[in-house]
Amino acid sequence: MICRKCSGPGSLIIRKEYCYCNDCFITNINHKFRACIGKNKILSPNEKVLICLSGDASSTVLLDLIHVGLSLNNHKKLRVIPYFLHIIERDSEGEEISKVIVEQCKNYNFNITLVNIDEYFNKNILCNDNTMKNHYQPSISKNVLLNIPTSISEDVLTKMKQNIFIKIAKQLKCRIIFTAETTTLLATRLLSNIAIGRGSQVENDIGFADKREENVKILRPMRDITNEEIDHYLRIKELNPATDILGKGYGTSLQSVIRNFVLDLQENYPATVSTICKTADKIGSVTDNVNKKKCIICQSNLDCNQLNLTAVDATMFSRKVSSKVINSNENLKHIEEGNNLMFPFIYEKLCYCCSRNISQLNDPMLQTLVCRNDDK
Amino acid sequence: MPVPCRTGCGKNAMLKRPKTGDALCKECFFWAFETEIHFTITKGELFKKGDSVAVAASGGKDSTVLAHVLKTLNERYNYGLNLMLLSIDEGITGYRDDSLETVKQNRDDYEMALKILSYKELYGWTMDEIVAQIGRKNNCTFCGVFRRQALDRGAAMLNVKCIATGHNADDIAETVLMNVLRGDIARLKRCTAISTGSEGTIPRVKPLKYTYEKEIVMYAHYKKLVYFSTECVFAPNAYRGHARALLKDMEKIRPTCIMDIIYSGETMEVKEAVSLPSQRVCIRCNFVSSQEVCKACVLLEGLNKGLPKLGIGKSSKAKRMLEEYNAKQHKSLEEAIKDINEEYEKNNCISKGKVCRSSCKSKQTAQINKTHKTTSETCCNGQSDEKLNTDNDITNSKVKVLLKEYGLSEPAQDDSSNLIAVKIDHSNTEKVGNATNDDDFEVDSHNTDEQIVDEDDTCGGACGKIDSLHISF
Repeated sequence: MICRKCSGPGSLIIRKEYCYCNDCFITNINHKFRACIGKNKILSPNEKVLICLSGDASSTVLLDLIHVGLSLNNHKKLRVIPYFLHIIERDSEGEEISKVIVEQCKNYNFNITLVNIDEYFNKNILCNDNTMKNHYQPSISKNVLLNIPTSISEDVLTKMKQNIFIKIAKQLKCRIIFTAETTTLLATRLLSNIAIGRGSQVENDIGFADKREENVKILRPMRDITNEEIDHYLRIKELNPATDILGKGYGTSLQSVIRNFVLDLQENYPATVSTICKTADKIGSVTDNVNKKKCIICQSNLDCNQLNLTAVDATMFSRKVSSKVINSNENLKHIEEGNNLMFPFIYEKLCYCCSRNISQLNDPMLQTLVCRNDDK
Repeated sequence: MPVPCRTGCGKNAMLKRPKTGDALCKECFFWAFETEIHFTITKGELFKKGDSVAVAASGGKDSTVLAHVLKTLNERYNYGLNLMLLSIDEGITGYRDDSLETVKQNRDDYEMALKILSYKELYGWTMDEIVAQIGRKNNCTFCGVFRRQALDRGAAMLNVKCIATGHNADDIAETVLMNVLRGDIARLKRCTAISTGSEGTIPRVKPLKYTYEKEIVMYAHYKKLVYFSTECVFAPNAYRGHARALLKDMEKIRPTCIMDIIYSGETMEVKEAVSLPSQRVCIRCNFVSSQEVCKACVLLEGLNKGLPKLGIGKSSKAKRMLEEYNAKQHKSLEEAIKDINEEYEKNNCISKGKVCRSSCKSKQTAQINKTHKTTSETCCNGQSDEKLNTDNDITNSKVKVLLKEYGLSEPAQDDSSNLIAVKIDHSNTEKVGNATNDDDFEVDSHNTDEQIVDEDDTCGGACGKIDSLHISF
C-alpha cells in the first residue's frame, strides 16, 4: 500500500480504494474542515463562535480540529473566539456523557457550558458555567419524548436543541454556531426529513448553513467528512468519544430503518452518501412566502397553500370521508377548515411536519408547552 | 368483538383503512375510496367534459382498478368522458402475454375499446431479445423508455386528450426516494406532479396519486375485480427494488410516511442556479427529447450496433462511445486499406502512382508474411510468390462481377460511387467485432481487384453507405 499523496508507506484505506499514510490523512481531514469553512466566506476574523458538542465521535473530532486550528501560529491560524456548549439530555447516560465531555475540554484548556435540555421550556436560560440543574425534578422533556412515536422523537429533540443553541448564542452574542454533523449523518437526515414531510426545509436542515434565524447562523463544517474518516481519525489520534453511537435513536424508528438502509446501500454503491448530499445542495423550496411567516417551532418559512391540490388536502379529505356519513356532495367542497385535528395550526403557525408532530402529542398540556415559543 | 363502522352507518366494520386507520364497513369503504379519487380528479382539474381519455392498461391491479373506478365515476358524476383502453406488449413471455388476456377481459367487462401496440412492431425488438443482448441489468431502463414512447404513439393514434395511468401513492413515494438516492434532480422536480406533459405532447395524469397500494388491493379484492398479479420476471434486479424495500419497511413503522414523502416532493424545488436540461425535439424521430437525439433512438442504436451500454449512464458518454466505435471501424478500415495497398505494392511496385509492370518481383523472401503488417514502404517486398493475382481462379461470382465492372489493367478511378467493400480475413478484422453486416465499411483502394481473395462475403457492389443510421450528436 502506497500513500497516494506522499508515495510513502500507506497505513489505511478509505472508500475501498484510496490509500493514505497517517500524516497525509490527518492533513487531508484538516484541509476539508478548513476548506469547508473558508469557501463559504461566512466567518469574519475573530468571530465569536458557539461550538456545540453532543459527545459522540464527530463532536470529539470537531473539538480536536478546533484545537489544532487555534494552536497554529502562522497565517493559517483559525481566527475564532470559541465558546463550547453541551446539552445534557435527560436519559440515563446523560450525566456520564457530560462528565466525559468536561474532561475532554479540560485537556484542551477550553471552558464549556452545560445546559439541561429542559431549559427549552424557559424563556431565559441561566448561563452559568458548569452548573447542572437539580435532576430530581421530573423532566418535562423526557415526558414529551416518551409520549410521541419514536420516529419523530429524534426530530423533536433536534429542534429543541437547535432552539437552545440559538438562545445561548444570542445571550453570548455569538453570530455563528458550529455543529458536528458528518456526511453520513446528513444523508440519513435528508431521507428521514423527506419521510416526515420536511422536504421544503432541506436547504436549511442539510445544507452547510442554516439561515433561518436572522442574526445567528448554524454552520456544519464537517459535512464533507464521512463516518469512516472520523473513525480513522479517532484511532490515529487515540481519542475516545464520550458515547459510541453516532446519532443514536430510541428503538425502531424511521431513522433507524433509514440509517441501516443507507449503510447497506453504501456497501454496494459507494457513491450513495455523497450523491445524496450533493442532491441536497441542489434542492430549494417552492414557497414564495412574501409575508415571511415562520413556523413557531422550527422557524422555517411556512408553506403557502399555493398548489391546487397537495397531500395535505388529500389527507384531510380522507379523514373527513372516513368519519361522517356524507351523502350529499356539498360537504365535499368545505374541507379546508382552519383548525382541524389532523393538522393543527397548519399554514398559520406551524409547518406541515411540526403540525403533524404536535397532533401526535397525546397530552394537550404538552402540546401547549411545546408551542410556547409562540409568544416571543 | 365486532367494531362498528366509523361513519356511523350502523353496520359492522369489515376492514381497517391503511391510510387513516379508521375501521369501515365494505360499502363505506368503497364509497370513501371512490370519492377520494373523485376529489383528486376535480380538485386537480384533470379532465374536462367531453374529453377522450386513454387508460393505460397492463392488466395489473392498478390499471384494472383505475379503469373500473373511472367508469363508475364517469357515470355517477357525469364527467362526460370517452374512455378507452391502451395496452403495450413488451414481448416478455410468461408475463405480458398472460396479462394481455386480462386486459382483453377488462375490455369486455367495462365495454371499452382496446388498442394493443407491441415493441416488436414499433422498434423491432421484444424485451426478451433485448435482455438476451444486454444481460440482466438495466432492463427497466429499456422497457420504461420504450413503453413511454409507445404510449405516446398509441395515444396519438387514438387521438385522445390525455392518458390516465395507474400510478399509486406508493409508486410516487418510491420514485421520490429513488431520485434522491440517484441524484436525479430533473426527475425529482417532475415526479410528484399529478399531470405531466408539455407543449406538443399528450399529458399523462395520475388519478390514483393519493391512493395507497394496500387499499387498491383491498378494493380489487372486495369488488372481485379480475386482474393479473405476477411480478415482471426482470424486476428483481432493478434499482427501484431498493427504494421499494425501504418504503415497505417505513410503512410498517409509520403508515403516514407515504403521504409525507409525497408532500415533501411537492414542496421541493430545484434551486435556480442549478442547470436543468431544456426540452427540444429529437432530430431523428421528432419526439420530445431533452437531448439532441432522444433516449429511445439512442437505446435502439445501441441494440442494433451491439453496443448495449450505449444508452446507459451519462448521455455525454454515449457520444464518446459512438465516436470510439466509428473510430474503430475507421481504423480497421484504414488498416485494411493499408494492407491492401501494401499487398498491391508487393505485387506491383508503384512509383509515382504508376503501376510498375516490370518483373521486379524479387524472390528474396521465401516466407509469406501472413499477418500483413509490414511497415516497409518499398515495393516488391518479397511477396512475389503469393498467387493473389487476378488471373488466379476466382470462384466467387460477386468477384467476377466486380472484375467485369472494374477491369484489370487500368486502375479503377477513385470516385465514391465505385467503391467496393472488402472484408479481409486477417487479424485486423477482429477489431471490427460486432458489425452486423459488412456493408458498414468500404475500402478506398485503387486496385482492389488484384487483392480480391477468395472471400465469401465481399459486398457486391457500391454500397455507398458509410454507416448504417448515420448519427450525429
